[in-house]
Amino acid sequence: MKEKHVHILSLIIILSGSSFILFLYWTEPRTIAEVSSKGQVVLGTYTIDRAEFDQGLANFHRDEFIAARAAFDRADPQKRDAITQFYTAYSYYRQGWGRISNDDALFRAGLEAVDRVIAIEPNFRIADDSLKMKTAYELKAELDEGLKITLSDFNPFRLTRERK
Amino acid sequence: MTENDQKAVDIIDIEEIETVVDARSGAIAVREEFDNAPASSAVPVYIVLPILFLAVTMLGGMRLAADNSFIFLKPALICLVFATVMLVLFFRSGLIAVDGWLSESHTMLRNAANGAILVTIFSATVQLFSSLLPEQGLPFWIVGFCFLWTLWNNLFSNFDSQRLLRSLAALFGFAFVVKYLVLANLTAPEGSSWLQRMFENPGREAFTWMLDLPRYGKGTGYIQFFTLILYLIGLYLTPTFTKK
Repeated sequence: MKEKHVHILSLIIILSGSSFILFLYWTEPRTIAEVSSKGQVVLGTYTIDRAEFDQGLANFHRDEFIAARAAFDRADPQKRDAITQFYTAYSYYRQGWGRISNDDALFRAGLEAVDRVIAIEPNFRIADDSLKMKTAYELKAELDEGLKITLSDFNPFRLTRERK
Repeated sequence: MTENDQKAVDIIDIEEIETVVDARSGAIAVREEFDNAPASSAVPVYIVLPILFLAVTMLGGMRLAADNSFIFLKPALICLVFATVMLVLFFRSGLIAVDGWLSESHTMLRNAANGAILVTIFSATVQLFSSLLPEQGLPFWIVGFCFLWTLWNNLFSNFDSQRLLRSLAALFGFAFVVKYLVLANLTAPEGSSWLQRMFENPGREAFTWMLDLPRYGKGTGYIQFFTLILYLIGLYLTPTFTKK
């Protein structure tokens, strides 16, 4: 091997190794599987698992929200897909919604998910006719409102409202 | 000063000059020997050393949590200071000759490769200190002070490269024992609740709380042991001058 080739190979090893180490310390993956999925995010080749997403969607429409969220998590482990995160947030809303009072823990988790949607795609709009709230901001406002205690919460006509 | 005294001073001066000349000609001879070595003998320096030091850089900040998931810790600022002092020590002791690695007489590509290897040595040293320094609390300050004290003293001592390597192996070995054997055994294992941990391991729970010890998985010590060994092997393989 020529001297020049050894030096070039050395530089390639150092640059690629340093890049990998920077990636590890930047993204802080917790498992080997996360190294792979975070790597796909960095390289721009990350896609969701379509089969798992369809499974989650079917569960969501059957009101099986826990199973739906598990499938959405498997479909989008890096939480980078706006549609999946929107359905996740919506599932928290629908599960946590109550005619008399809402489940604050589920609503907070829903807020976190909808914030991710806004971060990924601020002008997000879903094309699903079965959902009454189409944008991330509508869902966020509904979740925010559900967490607050106001005078309108004591209005008896609230008992007639419907889940969106 | 008498005439005899002046002659004695002259003789001593000549001896010193001869010693310096001998040392310099020896160094030049060694450098020429390296420069005339075949290119294949450069492989350990240009291929093996970067891999070793990059492995140390990667593993030095890695810990395993109680559930064996990875934790990547960024080094504390003091680790960069320690690593800088260490590089100065390497240069002073002759473990690495600056003009043997970076020189106008080298090609640009060779200088770039050598510079990159020196950067990997620095980053590996930073991460090794990060590995051996306790993360927080009183142990961080005590072990950090011991490192600082030792390195500061070493800066003003006369070392050759072999002695420096032995001294560093002893220093790092002792720090490893303190962190991964002594302090790790004072750390209470993960439990379901604080009360349960207090009943099961009152002494260790008290030490964990007082010394602010992090609870890592058992594999962490093994990983850091191999990191330390890799670093010392890397230093042992590091030549004073790079081969052509």
